[in-house]
Formats: sequence, C-alpha cells, structure tokens
Amino acid sequence: MFWHSFITKTKHYGRAIWYENMKEWRIELTYKPDFIRGMIDPLVYAMPYLLYGIALVGGRTSETLKGLVGTDDLITFVTLGYIFVGFINMALWAMGWSLRKEQFWGTLESVFVAPVPRWVFALGMALHSTLHQGLMIFLQIIVINLIFKLTIAPSGILPSLLVVGLMLIALYGFGMMVASLTLIFKQGWLVSEALSGIMMIITPIAYPLAVLPLFMQKAAMFLPTTYGVMTVRHFLIGEQMGFTVWTAFSRLVVLGVVWVAVGIMIFEIIDRRTRRTGTISHY
Amino acid sequence: MSFKNDLRIVWAEFKKSVKIWISYPIMLVFWAIAPFMWVLPFIFQGKALVGGLSSAAFKELTGSPHYLPFVLIGAMVSTYIFSGLWGVGNSLREETYWGTLEYIIVSPTNPIVVLLGKTLAEFVYATVNVTMQALVATFFLGLDLTLAKIFPVFVIVLLLLIGFYGFAIAFAGFTLLIKEAHGWVHTLEWVFYLFSPIRYPVEVSTITKTLSAVIPLTYALVAIRGIILLNKNILHLGKTILILIIMDIILLITGYLTFRYLERKTKEAGTLAQY
Repeated sequence: MFWHSFITKTKHYGRAIWYENMKEWRIELTYKPDFIRGMIDPLVYAMPYLLYGIALVGGRTSETLKGLVGTDDLITFVTLGYIFVGFINMALWAMGWSLRKEQFWGTLESVFVAPVPRWVFALGMALHSTLHQGLMIFLQIIVINLIFKLTIAPSGILPSLLVVGLMLIALYGFGMMVASLTLIFKQGWLVSEALSGIMMIITPIAYPLAVLPLFMQKAAMFLPTTYGVMTVRHFLIGEQMGFTVWTAFSRLVVLGVVWVAVGIMIFEIIDRRTRRTGTISHY
Repeated sequence: MSFKNDLRIVWAEFKKSVKIWISYPIMLVFWAIAPFMWVLPFIFQGKALVGGLSSAAFKELTGSPHYLPFVLIGAMVSTYIFSGLWGVGNSLREETYWGTLEYIIVSPTNPIVVLLGKTLAEFVYATVNVTMQALVATFFLGLDLTLAKIFPVFVIVLLLLIGFYGFAIAFAGFTLLIKEAHGWVHTLEWVFYLFSPIRYPVEVSTITKTLSAVIPLTYALVAIRGIILLNKNILHLGKTILILIIMDIILLITGYLTFRYLERKTKEAGTLAQY
C-alpha cells in the first residue's frame, strides 16, 4: 500500500517537474534572440577576469599563483573557476527568481493552487536551469579553449562530473530557500543579487581560498561551490586543496543533505506564512 | 504642449520615481555597497596573481602600478552607466510590468519628456550612490580623491552621461519593439565590462583596445583615472573632452531619432500592449 502510494506520487510529481521544465523552455524559446544572447553571455562574463589577470602579470603564467596552488596557468585556473558562476546563477537567479517571475506574469496564484507541493514546482525550475546552464557552460569551455588552449587532465573529467552532481543537489536546496524569500521580500532580485555577490566573493573562483581573509575562508566552508570548484580544479589541473578528495566528497554529501532539508523547510514555512497573512498576491 | 507643461511632467515623473525608491529603502543601501562587492574578487585575484597591491606589468599599461584604485574608479563610474541602462533604458519595460505603459503612451505627452523625467531621477539616484561609494573608497580604502579633483571629474562624468542617456533613450525605444529586453541589458552591461576599461586596462589586447575606441566610457575612464591617479590637469585633457562632446552630439541626435522611429514602428505593428 505504502509503496503503491509512493510510486504513484513520485510519478505524479515527476510529471509536474517535467512540465514545469518544458514550460520554461517554451517561454525561453519564444524570445529566440534573447535565448541566443544568453548562450553567449557566460563567455563575455569570463573574459574581463582573464584579461585582467593577463594585465596584472603580463602573460598567462603567475609564479605567485604557482606558490599558492601548484599551477601557474592563470587562464585555465580562472576559466575552470568561472564555470561555477553559472551554477551560482542557476541557484540564485533561475531558481531564486522563479516565483517573482510567475508574479510578473500573473500566474503565481494559478501555479500555487495546482495539486502538487510547491517544492515540486521549484524542482521543475531547477531541472530546466540545470539543462540550460549545462548547455551554456559547454559552449563557454569550447570557445575559451579555441582562443586560449586550455590544458586539463582528461582523466579528471569523470570524477569532476560526479563532484558537480553532488554540488548541484546542495545548490538546489539553496535555490529553494532563495525562491521562497522572494515571497516575503517581493523585490527578490535584491536577495539574489546580494547573495550572489557574497557567494562570488567567498567561493574561490578566480583566486585560491588562501588569499581570502580568515573569516571568509571559514564562511566558504559552508558553501558547496567551494568544494565543487576546488575539487574539480584538483582533478583537472592538480590544484592543491588543503584537504583530501575524500573530505571534499563527504562534506559535499553532508552539505547536500543539510541545504536540501533547510531549503524545503524554509520554503514550507514561508509558503504557509504568506498564505496565512494573505500577502501572496502582494506586489 | 508648452515648455512649462513639459517641465511639470519631468517633475511629476521624478517624484514618481522617488516614491518608488522610498517604497524599497533597502535598495539605496544595497546600491551603495554592491559595486564594492563586485570589486572585491578583482582585489583578491590581484593578490593571488602578483602577491601584493601593485604590479609592474600593470604600470606599463596604465601608468600606475596600483590596481586597487583602478578598479574602484571603474566601479564608481560604472554605477552611473548601469543605473542609466536599467533606470532609463529598461524603464518602459518596467512600465509594462506595472501595467502602466499604455497610459503613458496614450497620454497627450511626448514620451521623450517622460523619459527625461526618468533620466533626471536616475542621475540623482546614481549621484547619491556614487557619493556614498566615494566616501567609503576615500576614508576606508585609501583612494586619493581630493576636493580639487572632484570638479574636473564631475565635468567628465557629465560629458559622458549626456551622450549615454541619449543612447539609453534609444534603448528604451528598442524595448518597446522587442519586449523582453532584460537579457539584452545584461549583455550590454557585459559589453561595457569587456570593451571598456571598467575592470581591466583594454590596452592588454589589440582587439579590446580597438573596439573600446568607439565607446565614450573608455575616454571618460581614461580621463578620470588620469586626473585621480596620475594628477593630470583637466586642461591637458582637451582632446578627450572634444571627443566626448562630439560623441554626445551624435548620441543625443541618433538616440532621439531612433526612439521616435521605434515608437512609431511599434504603434504601426500594434504590438505596444503585447507582453
């Protein structure tokens, strides 16, 4: 009886997640020029960091960087780091902004009265943004590789994908929390912008963790992106991390469980609160 | 409509924008801090790559070895640019979200006058933010911004903005036509980041150096950094000022004409109320 009910519910929720994902793709593809532009964006985002690095050292290698992480190729180091900005954007903008977008379109109330839990709706958004980000990152790597010739260890690709998969689970939880916050703050882009600013600083994207002040280094240990970016760079270019691969994997698992639990819990609390106070349709 | 009436509309639009800001007071605090959050990664990257706050390679490109004031000035000046891009360029799209675009367009007012009101409001808002940023940069981050340097810097900023607001008004017309302009604003932001010296010296690559020459922001930033970092006198920046004035005239005229053309085209296509 339990299993039958569980399987029926899972199928039911799975279908809702899939349709939410498809809805997002349809809306995106309605604005084709905007979709194409979105594909080019990550490349344009990463370039100032690369060119700034070259301007500082007068080439693509840095002895100071080598002393800190064991690799001197700043271009490969920064490019691999910058991929994770896409994942941060996925959690904070694509997922975090999702409910506010529905409000703009005037469809939030219709979506919320559908007979599925609200977190299912957020997971649909997560599926869409994961696929979208994956496509963008793929293009970004190809183009930067054509321009700068990145040097990575091919044997590190598979374990890197595993790390990214684990990190995504934690980011989904984070994204759900941010999405629900927009129900309270309304001007939700501010929440996304502030959190993405903080995450972009304390996640060691374009620099090693060691150059951050100590309190930021400690805060970075609670972010899945920190382990994601450092472990991927460890597998692909041999970054010295200061912790073992096993530690990275186990912490990612713990962070995944914690962030998903926190994300769902906060989402449920805020959802209930906004409906009780009658502010869900407030603008 | 008379000039006096136009001024009343500009004032009414200004007051409307201020009322919206006051509804979200946290935004003012956020915009005073946000540019520093964008600057911090560049400071940490600098430390990771050169081990300190100065670089000989950087001096060869910019004349100053200190990259911290370089990125701080870029962040402050870009506040004006991005506030104009969002607050003016994307303003008619926001009216669509609020459901008030049609009222503006069918009122017996020239939409350009409404946009001038929005422009004035954005200028004031950005100036408040940049003033707060300048205070933080001067007192906490060691930026050498003396009173004697403020007037010439302000002249350059004004020359930059006159032309830029012309461009933003044209962009507002573009949003009437293509609707979903949010992403295009982001792309423009990053075109400015990539092809003008906001975050790095464009001289580092021949391609960026060449392309940056058509963006007024490049001339303004080089002049402002010359005044603040290299103690240059504004009188020695005559060529830059002339280029900015010429660009202002071109951008204002083309901005106005482009907006009128796109507004007419949208009305003819009957897509004004479409989402």
